Amino acid sequence: MKRWLWLVAVGFSAPVAAAPVTEVVASAPRPLPAHREIILDASPKERRRTLPAEAFLRAYLRWFGGLAPIEVQHRATGNNLFDQWGDYVTALGLPDYKIDAPRVTQSSPMMLATLGRLGEALCVRAAQHDLRAGAAPSSRVVFAFDAPAAPTRAQFAAGFDVLHRTFLSYPAALAPADREPRFYALYQRVASHHKEGAQLTADQTAWVAICAALVMHPETELY
Amino acid sequence: MRRVLHLTLLLGLTLLLTTESFAGRSLEDYRYFRALSVDLAGRPPSREEIADFEATGFDLDRWIEDHLKSASYADRIRRIYMDLLRLDLPPTVHFGPASLILAHVSILGPDSKPVDVYFRGGQRRVKPEIDAQFCLTEDEIGAKFAGGGPVGTLKPVARAVFDARTVEVKPWWLYADYRSAHPSDLATYDWIKRFPTFGLYVRMFLGADGAAPKSIRVCREEAQTAPTGHVYVTGRVVTKRDKLLPGRSTRLPADITYAKSHKDEQISCLSGTGFQSSTECGCGVGLERCLPQDGNRFELPYFGPLDADHRFGVSYGDAFMWMRAWWNEEPRHFLEHVLLEDADWRGLLDSRGTTINGPLAQFYRFLASATCCGTASELGYGEPEALFEPTRVPAELIPHHADDWRWIPDRGPHAAGLMTMPVFLMKYGSRRARAHVVYNAFLCKDLIAESLTLTPSTEPDLTKRPGCANCHQTLEPLAAYFTRVQESDWTYLPAKQFPISLPGCTTSDPTRMPGVCRNFYDPAFTDASHTSLRGALAAPGHAESGPPGFAAEITQSPEFATCVVRNVAQSLLGRSLTTEDGEWQSRLTRTFVAGGYRMRALVRAIVTSDRYRHGNDSIPERQ
Repeated sequence: MKRWLWLVAVGFSAPVAAAPVTEVVASAPRPLPAHREIILDASPKERRRTLPAEAFLRAYLRWFGGLAPIEVQHRATGNNLFDQWGDYVTALGLPDYKIDAPRVTQSSPMMLATLGRLGEALCVRAAQHDLRAGAAPSSRVVFAFDAPAAPTRAQFAAGFDVLHRTFLSYPAALAPADREPRFYALYQRVASHHKEGAQLTADQTAWVAICAALVMHPETELY
Repeated sequence: MRRVLHLTLLLGLTLLLTTESFAGRSLEDYRYFRALSVDLAGRPPSREEIADFEATGFDLDRWIEDHLKSASYADRIRRIYMDLLRLDLPPTVHFGPASLILAHVSILGPDSKPVDVYFRGGQRRVKPEIDAQFCLTEDEIGAKFAGGGPVGTLKPVARAVFDARTVEVKPWWLYADYRSAHPSDLATYDWIKRFPTFGLYVRMFLGADGAAPKSIRVCREEAQTAPTGHVYVTGRVVTKRDKLLPGRSTRLPADITYAKSHKDEQISCLSGTGFQSSTECGCGVGLERCLPQDGNRFELPYFGPLDADHRFGVSYGDAFMWMRAWWNEEPRHFLEHVLLEDADWRGLLDSRGTTINGPLAQFYRFLASATCCGTASELGYGEPEALFEPTRVPAELIPHHADDWRWIPDRGPHAAGLMTMPVFLMKYGSRRARAHVVYNAFLCKDLIAESLTLTPSTEPDLTKRPGCANCHQTLEPLAAYFTRVQESDWTYLPAKQFPISLPGCTTSDPTRMPGVCRNFYDPAFTDASHTSLRGALAAPGHAESGPPGFAAEITQSPEFATCVVRNVAQSLLGRSLTTEDGEWQSRLTRTFVAGGYRMRALVRAIVTSDRYRHGNDSIPERQ
């Protein structure tokens, strides 16, 4: 047994050089194949920033007619739609230097709820102002388009684009392809579930829903 | 065939319109424009601005240049530093030296009708029975006033006494031309338009009889207008065992130490010491050196998070609250000036200039010195040396000009940017707090102790005490720059009266150090031959160079420019800078320094960089 093991060991340690040597001929130099440069963007990336609360407030003031904050409060108050600015300023993430409360740079449910409440209140008031019978198109602030009852898809798209540009700052045509149909479906659903009320018609309520949904859209709150 | 052609034409027209309206803009382009608009115009773009952006020939570089000169750009960058410095005072900070408070009481006039009489508690008067209290005695009016309403039953005051002790004055808050010989520009509701930010509560228009007053009745001494008085010495010896004199609610005032050693000398009526030690010091022309109290309320501007054009509401408060509200506005307007003028950013710390409006002009000219000099007068300090010299305030700025903000190029040799403004000195009351916030905001460094063990120690010097030394070796020399600005105050302590070591305060037994010495010199570092001015121990040289010296040290530090770049870039990118940003940050720093520390060039470089343009995840949100 030991002899077999020894033979096997000797066999493995036998020089490889014993095999015949083949000559390798170097190839002639050739230019490298054509290539394209890819610039790698190595800078750090993060998700989009939350709109500074000040920018949000200015945006709201402008969206809803270039009003002063006190006027906005006056206009939005009523029917339990809005209280006072003081109730919302902290919730919007603004710092309070008096008590060394820092700026909030990330959105919170409270902030989103506040913005939603404010947006909803202002959309209702804007619809009452812009979509009332006989309102001249030039006097319309948010709903600056013709809003026929039971709009066709194309008629809806025209109005939707105006709102999309207003709140998201780019044409609806550049948004994901399913956005406009989904909002149209929302419009139809809201319109079909609402009867004409004392303040708004079913179509006007549907436009308010579109307005409020866009005001609360993540792309409105980010940049 | 015709139908196909028609459809093709329609499609072509649609495509043409689409191409024209977007002008080849991609979603990323729109997002970049939105980000620029948020950061430089202060809000997302309007539909009209988007239409301009889409138009062929739109010059984005020009748009950026224009907006880098706008108030909204200034507001955006100012916010970065306001967030760091948090310059606003909590409601607990009180400012109300006795010499400024003009209270009033209602008495029965000679005609038996109620009349308000204004006076200062503590006003020095020659007659002992009324010295340092109301100018009419209990015998004369039937009641005395002791910190509230009348005690006793009011009776009509005799005409002769009334006329001898009181006079009529047309005060600054009721007359816009109160400095003229015959003021006639009386407050009316049209002031709301003429002086939009100078708001008087309606009570200011009504006297005790419910009618609108054309003047107010003031104790005669308070109505004096001389800028200086003579030091008045009574020679009284007053002890706590003395009984109250009949009709008096307080003991007679004793002569203060300063008065005893400066008898009959001239003294400024602007200082608290002048008020305490002269019978000739009143509230000045139109009572401009005093602030009305008790029911006299001003509209307090609540600017909220935006600017003066976007007020979020209004509340009412007394004149001190009103004045304090303007302290809060001073750094905002100062920063706005630096940004709009694109001035050297180091000026935030080393500029002698500031921006003031009418109420602040009144404050710096007539009121700020009232906190001087307290117990410092016992060490011979009676004529205040101000951080903002009153003579440098434009005389034509009156309190009503609340919306007239003016740049004052030079406040005086002790001024140093934000660091010598009342709001900074009150917000950061202690020398250490002042040094720390500047160190943190302008060098982006903090004082954080490493893992260490605090061992019991009696070492009074924190730069040597085990554990404490970790941070205090850095902090104490920086805090020493504020040695000569009193804590929770702005009174400057000059070297003449307050040398680093005061021979008169040396003692071999520091536990028996006189109280006045203890206020300014630290007994822990006092012996028979030497004392140490509080705060100066770690770096006496820094105490001498004061806040301007601190400004020089911070702005000459290599970390200053890097820190500015970091603060601004992080805010605009919405994320922290990392090591991958190192080279970019260095490039920005070189741009900033080479451009003379101008903010506009730095912001331009950031917002036109790929990092800003592509900084954030552009994955569309699905909703």
